[in-house]
Amino acid sequence: MTSKDKLIRTETLNLWYGEKQALYDITLGILPNKITALIGPSGCGKSTLIRCFNRMNDVIDKCKITGKIFFHETDIYRPDADAVEVRKKIGMVFQKPNPFPKTIYENVAYGSKVQGITNKNQLDEIVEKSLKNAALWDEVKDRLHESAMGLSGGQQQRLCIARSLSIEPEVILMDEPCSALDPIATAKIEDLMTGLKKKYTVIIVTHNMQQAARVSDYTAYMYLGKLIEFGETKQIFENPKEELTENYITGRFG
Amino acid sequence: MVKIFHLSWKGSLLKEKGMKTLFFLSAISAIIVIFSIIFFLFRDAYPIFQKEGVVDFLIGMRWYPTGQPPLYGAFPLIVDTLLVTLGAMLIAIPLSIGSAIFIAELATPRMKAIIKPAIELLAGIPSVVFGFFGLIVLVTWLQITFDVPTGESWLAGSILLGIMAIPTITSVAEDAISSVPREYKEGSLAVGATRWQTISKIVVPSAISGITAAIILGIGRAIGETMAVMMVCGNPTYGLIPNPITNVFAPIKTLTATLGIEMGEVATGSDHYSALFGLALILLIITLIVNILATLILGRLKEKQRSGSKRLPIISFELAKKIKQSLYLFIGIVIIIILLMAVGIIPVICILIIIALMYYSLKKISIKIKQKIAFSIISLSIIIVIIFLGIILAYIVTNGVGALSWEFLTTGPSNLGRSGGIFPSIIGTLYLVAGAIAISLPLGVGAAIFLHEYTKEGIVTKIIRAGADLLNGTPSIVFGLFGFAFFVLYLKFGFSLLAGQITLAFMILPTIIRTTEEALKSVPQSLREGSYALGATKWQTIRKVVLPPAAPGILTGAILGIGRAAGETAPILFTAVVFSNFIPSSLLQPVNALPYHLFTLATSIPGSKENQAGTALVLLLLVIGIYLIAILLRNRFRKNMKW
Repeated sequence: MTSKDKLIRTETLNLWYGEKQALYDITLGILPNKITALIGPSGCGKSTLIRCFNRMNDVIDKCKITGKIFFHETDIYRPDADAVEVRKKIGMVFQKPNPFPKTIYENVAYGSKVQGITNKNQLDEIVEKSLKNAALWDEVKDRLHESAMGLSGGQQQRLCIARSLSIEPEVILMDEPCSALDPIATAKIEDLMTGLKKKYTVIIVTHNMQQAARVSDYTAYMYLGKLIEFGETKQIFENPKEELTENYITGRFG
Repeated sequence: MVKIFHLSWKGSLLKEKGMKTLFFLSAISAIIVIFSIIFFLFRDAYPIFQKEGVVDFLIGMRWYPTGQPPLYGAFPLIVDTLLVTLGAMLIAIPLSIGSAIFIAELATPRMKAIIKPAIELLAGIPSVVFGFFGLIVLVTWLQITFDVPTGESWLAGSILLGIMAIPTITSVAEDAISSVPREYKEGSLAVGATRWQTISKIVVPSAISGITAAIILGIGRAIGETMAVMMVCGNPTYGLIPNPITNVFAPIKTLTATLGIEMGEVATGSDHYSALFGLALILLIITLIVNILATLILGRLKEKQRSGSKRLPIISFELAKKIKQSLYLFIGIVIIIILLMAVGIIPVICILIIIALMYYSLKKISIKIKQKIAFSIISLSIIIVIIFLGIILAYIVTNGVGALSWEFLTTGPSNLGRSGGIFPSIIGTLYLVAGAIAISLPLGVGAAIFLHEYTKEGIVTKIIRAGADLLNGTPSIVFGLFGFAFFVLYLKFGFSLLAGQITLAFMILPTIIRTTEEALKSVPQSLREGSYALGATKWQTIRKVVLPPAAPGILTGAILGIGRAAGETAPILFTAVVFSNFIPSSLLQPVNALPYHLFTLATSIPGSKENQAGTALVLLLLVIGIYLIAILLRNRFRKNMKW
């Protein structure tokens, strides 16, 4: 694979939270229409890295970044790049389901509304389509105008996925999307992910190695802010090249 | 063996019970005080209610107690109070909310670290200092700028009250905005919303109940404010509603100002005296309603946060939307009607056309430019606030610093305070504050220990907390009237240090209870469990494990209370102070105090300008210094309390 094939590519990415360095010289490429998993022990920087892809770290005070991240061969950290434009193309689903304290409908329609769509029919269509794509439509179609806070945790997370699909991004980042969910809800989300990769590129952070093995095509193993190994999931799990990776996936530490 | 065990158990049980009773008694003190206030106000107001009838007293159109025949109609005073508050809120609400959004969302961490405590500090400026500034600078400025016979007016009162309410509203609203979960913000940004869209569509709506409570608290403060309003509103002899009602340059007379002025010249037991207590009762009821509203909203908010906002809202979203729309419509119509009355039909149509044009042009401009406009307006609001407060502080410092000298601080006043120093007032203030804190600290800490350590959340704690909240919202002038009726007259203390100390103590009691409770809350439950597991009793646990780490927090509360007591004028106006260079040698003698000295100089002693500014500066430095210590201590405490 050449760099042209890569949808997202980082080059010697370093990140500091104040004085503390959290990422060291990360260089990796993400292929389109694949699921890439970032794994590693707690505090290895996997969540920090995924938040770099849509410039979500901009929200955090005292966060400093050097290096480059290319999306379609455009550096998203270029001084004149607009984080808002980046996030329209690269959506995100968070660790804890975070629906807004609004109705189910308003949650999904929010992204389109802030981009200036006001036509009711168009919004209705977007909401229905997004909820269907997130496999939530049948469960909520009769109560679209009730509070999203009344949904179960798994439903809330699928609502958040629908919300991120509503603006038709190219990439969906998922930061431990199942860590707050029970096994049944987790299975539903995993099924959903596999379906999503037909249309989208998915990057997922997970602390659950089985999950990475089950759903992902590529896996990156990180440790102490460094990218240790990156390759096809099958290879990483069956035939890791680095000893650190092997120790982690065989459960010798982590 | 069994017997010995039994005996020792019994002994400690007795002590435990004793402590619990003691704490219970302190806890109900807040309720006893609020009920006594209501009782004494009602007792002394009763004769006028009986004579004039409650309804006639309330809706009587003229307040002219010295007329022939005397007229006791509270209605114009109530209307004036509401008008001055309305004006104040028109100034304070937009500026405060803008400032709160700026501090919570736009300021860099370093800016936030400076602006936030600065705003809190400004909340501590004594109202008599604001009044002094208003009287000397604002009123004159209005008179010259608008070429009116006198600047002492509704407008002057509203501007001053508005500035005074800004720190309170900003601080509470900022807390509400800052406590919106970061997840909401991230969720919004992640779908490509701009910062301004996120703030206006997600953050502020999520914080709306906290912001509402902040506004209501601000309204409560403005209604209950006495000294500043009294000094700048003109106070015509007979209370009248401005004519026409939109005449902002009309002098007005609020409930609080009427009490502050007339209480000093009234014969005890006369109809007029009774009528003043009637006014105080009205004032208390208005502020109680306002504060109960704020407490209810904040209480619901806390509950919502605790239950992870899982609970569904009581009314459906669609209904809420409809209510909101009709509310906007209603407010819009009211504003248009007021404008129609004020300026006539043609200007109103022009204004409407301009608004419509602005609305449509806003719709057309890009999201990014909208954000720029919004951020500029928000930044502008905090700049205006800083300029307002900066002007006040700069005026007092530059004018007061000339008077300041060692002699000024250590000698008594001469020539009615035109020359000489302010030594007796400094001593008087210290005496008053020392007594107030000596009474309120044990009561307040005891009450907080009872609330937090001895009882489960339930009906008892709710009642006690409600009592403390009501006490907190009671206007200071009402404390003054209560102190006069109860300590000065009923208990026959006379105008005395003691009466002033107890009155001030009651006023700062809620502050102490609340801050102590917060300090106790911050001590983790595991520490207590560790102590119990070693066989310690409850009181032992509290004394040896809970109180030591909570001490800095309790101290902060005490210092905040001291600061408030040092700056207050209204509660001691009719209980303790005389304008003199007298230093009391017993608790039953009257005193002079800094805020009262300043008030008297500014309102009744012409030709004392330099000493006025000097006194204002000393008072300001004293109170701000005390608050600064409290804020620094609290911030340090918070930093170190990472369990």
